[in-house]
Amino acid sequence: MPPGQTGSQTQSQSGASSVRYEETTKLYPGATEPAVDHLSLEVPAGEICVLVGPSGCGKTTAMRMVNRTVEISSGDVLVGERSVREREPAQLRREIGYVIQQIGLFPHRTISENIGAVPQLLGWKKERIHQRSAELLSLIGLDPELGDRYPAQLSGGQQQRVGVARALAADPLVMLMDEPFGAIDPINRERLQNEFLRLQAEIQKTVLFVTHDIDEAIKMGDRIAVMREGGRVEQYATPAELLMAPANEFVEDFVGSDRALKRLALMRVSDINLWEAPLAHVGQASAEVRAKLAAPEVEIPYPLLVDSERRPLGWLSERDLDGETVPSRADSPLGPVLDRDDVMRDALADLLQGESQYAPVVDHQGRIDGVLSVEIISEFLASPDAKSDEHPAVERPHG
Amino acid sequence: MASPFLIAAGEVGGDFFHERSSGTLPCQAQSSHLFCWDWARENIDRYGTPTVQHLEIVLLSVVIGFVVAFALALIAHRTRWLQPPLLTATGVLYTIPSIAFFFLLLPVTGFGRDTAIIVLSVYTLQIIYRNTMLGLANVPDSAKDAARGMGFTDRQILWRVELPLAIPEIIAGLRIAVVSTIAIATLVVFIGAGGLGTQIYGSGNLTFPTSIVIAMAIVMGMAFLFDLGLLTVQRLTTPWRRVRAL
Repeated sequence: MPPGQTGSQTQSQSGASSVRYEETTKLYPGATEPAVDHLSLEVPAGEICVLVGPSGCGKTTAMRMVNRTVEISSGDVLVGERSVREREPAQLRREIGYVIQQIGLFPHRTISENIGAVPQLLGWKKERIHQRSAELLSLIGLDPELGDRYPAQLSGGQQQRVGVARALAADPLVMLMDEPFGAIDPINRERLQNEFLRLQAEIQKTVLFVTHDIDEAIKMGDRIAVMREGGRVEQYATPAELLMAPANEFVEDFVGSDRALKRLALMRVSDINLWEAPLAHVGQASAEVRAKLAAPEVEIPYPLLVDSERRPLGWLSERDLDGETVPSRADSPLGPVLDRDDVMRDALADLLQGESQYAPVVDHQGRIDGVLSVEIISEFLASPDAKSDEHPAVERPHG
Repeated sequence: MASPFLIAAGEVGGDFFHERSSGTLPCQAQSSHLFCWDWARENIDRYGTPTVQHLEIVLLSVVIGFVVAFALALIAHRTRWLQPPLLTATGVLYTIPSIAFFFLLLPVTGFGRDTAIIVLSVYTLQIIYRNTMLGLANVPDSAKDAARGMGFTDRQILWRVELPLAIPEIIAGLRIAVVSTIAIATLVVFIGAGGLGTQIYGSGNLTFPTSIVIAMAIVMGMAFLFDLGLLTVQRLTTPWRRVRAL
């Protein structure tokens, strides 16, 4: 959704509940092995917990035991400290948002009626339901006029947004999302993921998110539970921890050999120590600049030409410094310019795309902040420092 | 005792031609004449009562058939193992030849409308039951899964999701049932239940096509109007089916 439409007035902050699995086990009738085996897991209120693993690992079963669409064989699930086993299933489910891969919009109901489904079950007044539907349509960035259409008239991406809105309608304490973006094409999936993260930053629901895609898990999760066949959790950790210190070979394999690169998706340019650029101002004496270059701590052989606001203009060559003073135009083009808030993986991509070893990093005003180089990134990935989870890099990019 | 057929035919055939125009109209003399306008103009009021009878029998049969078949479908929908036996049972009933069915019931329920309605409603069962089951089976699983996960009770899923989505198939079944019942109801004359069959199978009529043509036209018109009516109901109750997909 466009950022301008995510007004905070559209979502009440009535809160979220924690979810706690306590030795939860599911043995399907006729099966010899449990689908989920003594699962113990706590999802703090307001966080996204991703259950990830190969198909048949019991992740969907584990998720569905929260709203009792799958009955618990033994153990318990607590939503907000209250056992789901003592709740009447239909009542319980109305407090828990539910989004599935096939979306499951009601074809015979308009978009507004679909969004208002749970409020209607809860006996809300018509006007309140109508108002809530309109509110949610704008929250998910859809034209309120679409409210009178039927699901068949919407694109797949729009339908999935409506699916999310419908799950949010009665302001649930917990959201269950079962491969919600699995059936969407890659480009739209990325958009929907970003939109959901932006939405989540605002509404802060407790979300159980099921996927088989480790990249999606890393992107969406505050915490990730890696599961394997038999419903066992192999590791439950933040994305950064998971990438830096896989608990065992299974997790390592599942996370993939490119986990070093995946880590870059979790950090921003500002999370890393940049090189200082040797700056040259227009009209400055060339000798002064040459002296700067000679300093031992300077890693870059070329000075960066900046304007009076310290905004980078271009790289100066040897020839540019032949004159008495620094010229107003640089010989070499600037190449890629990075933003402090860029995700590190994108920054690396820009460097490689620009065929440059380094690039200036600027702040919000476009003023020079430092220089990022391929060397810094590779050193970071190799350093034991990077493996500490104290590193600020663990902060997750929001869109 | 004479056969029921002759009794029935005698009821309507007796003085069929003698009331008003006793063979005096020119076109009535030759049976090769397909349609005699003069006769039609003079005798059109004969068709009023049989038409009303016909309508009553058809409506009662279809309503009863629908209630029974719909109830059976709902039961079978909940109780899966009942589905094959119910389908077979309604199917077997459907294959009984109608005349045989009428006469088989005569000793039990006797002459008249009751027997007619019983037989005709039994014939609608198969069509309505099958189509209702088909409609329920066509409801997307994802919609049911979503409904359940959102806190719809089983009853709410049935009445608010499954049945509304099954309307097109259910009404399609009703249309076939009504049209075929209107046609078969011309046979209830043989068990003395009246209807437009009286104007087709009366003994004298068989050599005088005009009356048959008129009765046939009324039957066909009735079928057409009911079909159109149900189609309209279907369109009005399923607006989501008419939207243009993007």
